[in-house]
Amino acid sequence: MIKVDNLSKSYGSVTAVAGVSFEISDGEVFGLLGPNGAGKTTIIKMLTTLTKPDGGRCSIDGIDVAADPLEVKRLIGVVPQENNLDRELTAYENLYIYSMFHNVENRADKIDEALKIVGLWERRDSLAHHFSGGMQRRLLLARALLPGPKVLFLDEPSIGLDPQIRRQMWDVIRKTRIEGRTVVLTTHYIEEAEALCGRVGILSKGKLVVLDTPAQLKACVGEYIAEFIDPNGKLIQHICKTREEAHEIAKNLADGVTVRKTNLEDVFIKLTGERIE
Amino acid sequence: MKAAPGWYPIFLREMLLFKRKLLRLGYLFSAMVVPIIYLIVFGFGLGSSLRIGGGNYLVFLIPGLVAMSSMNNSYNWVSSALNLNRIYFKTFQVFVQAPIRSSSIMIGEVLAGMIKGLFASVLIIIVGIVASSANFITFPFIVALLINCFLFSNLGVITGMISKSHEDTATYTNFFIMPMAFFSGTFFPVDRMPAVAKYVMYMVPLTHTNILIRKASFDHEGAVSLAVLVLYAAAFFAYGTYLIRNYSE
Repeated sequence: MIKVDNLSKSYGSVTAVAGVSFEISDGEVFGLLGPNGAGKTTIIKMLTTLTKPDGGRCSIDGIDVAADPLEVKRLIGVVPQENNLDRELTAYENLYIYSMFHNVENRADKIDEALKIVGLWERRDSLAHHFSGGMQRRLLLARALLPGPKVLFLDEPSIGLDPQIRRQMWDVIRKTRIEGRTVVLTTHYIEEAEALCGRVGILSKGKLVVLDTPAQLKACVGEYIAEFIDPNGKLIQHICKTREEAHEIAKNLADGVTVRKTNLEDVFIKLTGERIE
Repeated sequence: MKAAPGWYPIFLREMLLFKRKLLRLGYLFSAMVVPIIYLIVFGFGLGSSLRIGGGNYLVFLIPGLVAMSSMNNSYNWVSSALNLNRIYFKTFQVFVQAPIRSSSIMIGEVLAGMIKGLFASVLIIIVGIVASSANFITFPFIVALLINCFLFSNLGVITGMISKSHEDTATYTNFFIMPMAFFSGTFFPVDRMPAVAKYVMYMVPLTHTNILIRKASFDHEGAVSLAVLVLYAAAFFAYGTYLIRNYSE
């Protein structure tokens, strides 16, 4: 479905994306995980025709993004990181105009359906700038889903949302997966990547460090971690292959050692020496 | 395969936003206040003792104010809106990521700019007719008004696309639009300027709008001015479309 081959982009002397390659299959929920500035958003922008790459190629459904951007735009829906709704238009008007951009048929029915999915039907006549941050994110998602895109790009879909609203967003994203849609999302929330993504690519400084399922990524660095805070206040961590190994280490270390399962942030720290959040 | 949707959704969006702004009375006053100040200061004040070409100065001034107002409103609306939508509100990115041709985005934005320019111009025309009791609306006047709105809406797209910040658009206004408003024959004929300045001003489009807008009927000079305006409009349209097509963040 999506092929990215040696994609690169620089802004002046700053390399945002440095030769990234990966493939995403039909119906997959694929996550790009990394700290701010890792290159996640730049990759999304290149895949969605907003940014022209300096080098490399990418294609969606066999269509080269650079050679035929108009055709690619018919396949995609985008939820950007920033709120780019028309604030002076109502929720309904925002979706109506967007549906015209995409030549959506049966507009009224589709808009009602999209607003109901994200729980905003009752506020359809309210101006977008009267919406809370969470409602605006949901309206952005409804807008992106409206033309029934084959591929949905979500750039930090739950950024700034409280935990309850974040989980509502996740439910809607899971539903789009059930409908067989390919979903590409960027996030710097570990739990979001683990909750939603079939495979995760970890980015650091514009490079793809590793790509696999969350379970495999954790397994390859070790599934358990023994950690404690030393007398100087520094967090000391030992990643282990098995729970027994972690408990063995814990026994030989100071009191207050915690043994827990590793998460994707531990994988990230192990591979890059940095923290994500 | 679905056809690309054309310019209408872009135009409709701008008109919906324009309708919201019109409901705020401040917009109506802001569109009219500058030309009316000029009308009072130059027309009723300084101009009461002036005659140009043997005629009443007000009859000379009002078509110039209409040309200036149509330029300012078409240009500023498009330039500011596009710049803000691109840099701050990011709504321009929605157009770029939708299956709409660059030329359709351009046409939609320019037609919306024309409507805004024409709206402000009609207000000035009504005030001008009431103030002067003269009928200055001729066929060349209408052609000049329409092409002026079109041309400066196109220029608005260009500066809206190339400005790196909202302050940049003010710089373009101060260095290009404002001098053009004063020296292109709005308040006095270009022929009265020094030779070098006169040649420079004949190269800018508003001078030719001011020539055409005051013609009772098409003559050779009017036809030349119309040709210059059409050339400018075509060049600006082509460049604006090029900038949208090659937009990259």
